[in-house]
Amino acid sequence: MQKRLKQAIGLAAAANGQVGTEPQVPVRWRQFARHMRAMVAAATVNRGARVGLFIVVSLVLIAIFAPLITPYTPEQMGAGMALTPPNTSYWFGTDEFGRDIFTRVIYGTRLTLQVGVIAVGISLTVGTLTGLVAGYARGWTERILMRLVDVLFSFTETLIALAAVAVLGPSLTNAMIAVGIAAIPFYARVAYSVTLVERNRAYFDAAYVAGAGHLRLIFVHLLPNIVPPLIVVATLGVSSAVLAAAGLSFLGLGAQPPSPEWGAMLSSGRDYFTQASWIMIYPGLAIMVTVLGFNLLGDGIREALDPRQKS
Amino acid sequence: MARFLFERILAAILTIFVTTVAVSMLIHIVPGDPVKIMYAQSQGTTPEQLEEIRARLGLDQPLVTQYFNYMSRVLQGDLGKTIRGEQPVMDLLLQRLPNTLALAFSALVIASAIGLTCGFVAAYKRGSWTDTTLMTSAILGVSMPHFWLGLILLFFFAVRLQWFPVAGNGIENLVLPAVTLGVTNAAIIARLTRSSMIDVFDQDFIRTAHAKGLPKALVLYRHALRAGLVPIVTMIGLQFTYMMGGAIVVENVFGWNGVGRMAIQAIFQRDYPLIQGFILMFAFVVVAVSILMDLLYLWLDPRIRH
Repeated sequence: MQKRLKQAIGLAAAANGQVGTEPQVPVRWRQFARHMRAMVAAATVNRGARVGLFIVVSLVLIAIFAPLITPYTPEQMGAGMALTPPNTSYWFGTDEFGRDIFTRVIYGTRLTLQVGVIAVGISLTVGTLTGLVAGYARGWTERILMRLVDVLFSFTETLIALAAVAVLGPSLTNAMIAVGIAAIPFYARVAYSVTLVERNRAYFDAAYVAGAGHLRLIFVHLLPNIVPPLIVVATLGVSSAVLAAAGLSFLGLGAQPPSPEWGAMLSSGRDYFTQASWIMIYPGLAIMVTVLGFNLLGDGIREALDPRQKS
Repeated sequence: MARFLFERILAAILTIFVTTVAVSMLIHIVPGDPVKIMYAQSQGTTPEQLEEIRARLGLDQPLVTQYFNYMSRVLQGDLGKTIRGEQPVMDLLLQRLPNTLALAFSALVIASAIGLTCGFVAAYKRGSWTDTTLMTSAILGVSMPHFWLGLILLFFFAVRLQWFPVAGNGIENLVLPAVTLGVTNAAIIARLTRSSMIDVFDQDFIRTAHAKGLPKALVLYRHALRAGLVPIVTMIGLQFTYMMGGAIVVENVFGWNGVGRMAIQAIFQRDYPLIQGFILMFAFVVVAVSILMDLLYLWLDPRIRH
């Protein structure tokens, strides 16, 4: 299964590639920022990654300055006539309640980035800890933890997310939690396989022989070294989290109207699709551009970490 | 080989076991009183009636007893009755499962046909204009939400051009949902096929085959494709479970009468017996498919067989 996963996703390959490219120098927390900068610099040699970085930075700026960019407020009904086609005053047209779609899409960026950060935050934290502890402890702890991860992994994210929403009840916060929980096994596997590689390296033995305790070995020595490959997974993870949460909102299990969340906008606008196609076009495009940005950036960093993936 | 199979089957049993535990306990993790939540929509339930329902569902018993009761019923093919309508969950699921499997399977066929061809061509013409175009479309495809693509296809082909009916459950209704699910997943398959084939094209035996003067087509199909196929087939097997997950959303876009659509309604109605049955059945299908994939893997890759 481990082998199959590597072949199927190639992310663990990126992890091992990181070791392959810089075998001598273990990453220390002190130089961590420098290491990250070097990684982004290496990634942006790739044109796709530059586009991705540009999209992601723009989205962050749009989210921060949303009130300055938009002429209306996102829930303001009757900002214009209902179902006005796109024109110079309503760039993306208006919806069935006369709300300005441009304003709503811009404000939706805030919700979407929030979803990405929170969901990935949950899966990254829990998944990394699980994989790290399993790979460090070995023995029974390893077997039980990784078996459990395997079981969760075989359920697919959609099913776990649906089960979580079924338990917690529909809301955007619960959708973020559900999407976050659903991706945990994925991060756990990557963290686990990288930890196994890292704990066989000389710096780990050196720290162990010098008498470092469990916590020090895990958090000071292993963690900074397993983070770089996990950043690839997390960047790509933002895009799948955004897609999954938008899907839940579209099904009515995430953000509820009148929230300007893109999936929820598509869901409430679908009855007007035939008369007013712009209601459906722009929120969908916004999801796509966001997901594309994180995908391009993630792919770029992966290539920078693992030259074997380069074409 | 026996050991490999034994391990896989053991893992499958474990998965099913953990699922049954999780599913039977699901109702207890629900914040608040699940019985009250389930019956919130029916008017005028008195505390006595709630108590009676609790007893009927066996919720007043110790957790371990509840698990064993649940399991003994499940093993007899009884997944309980829905809260609304009191219909047997098993029958409802079995009625609709073929629809979902048909959707997932046709999507898989479409995705594999497009994905394998594009990935293979892109890998062969690596670095060319064709490769760039194909891979750019692939990353756009990966980034596209399938419910959005579904809505656009529905609008264009069913509403505007009227080539397909908007709703219904005939074979002509399967086309658009299958294409929706197939196209977005084709992009994933294309990307993975490309990287897998690039690895193969770089191998010595391919260079040897070319150097021997074998016709190009023979090298590509007999040597390269065969070597590259094993990881690709595994990956396509994994894709099937994603398709099953994706089907849940796509069914709701097109009103396709599968288990996914029913599951979403069940979540809205807080119909826990139905949700439990759905999760259990889904896990069962996923496990069955993964065992089938392992058998296929054994058959394809002689290194594991011996």
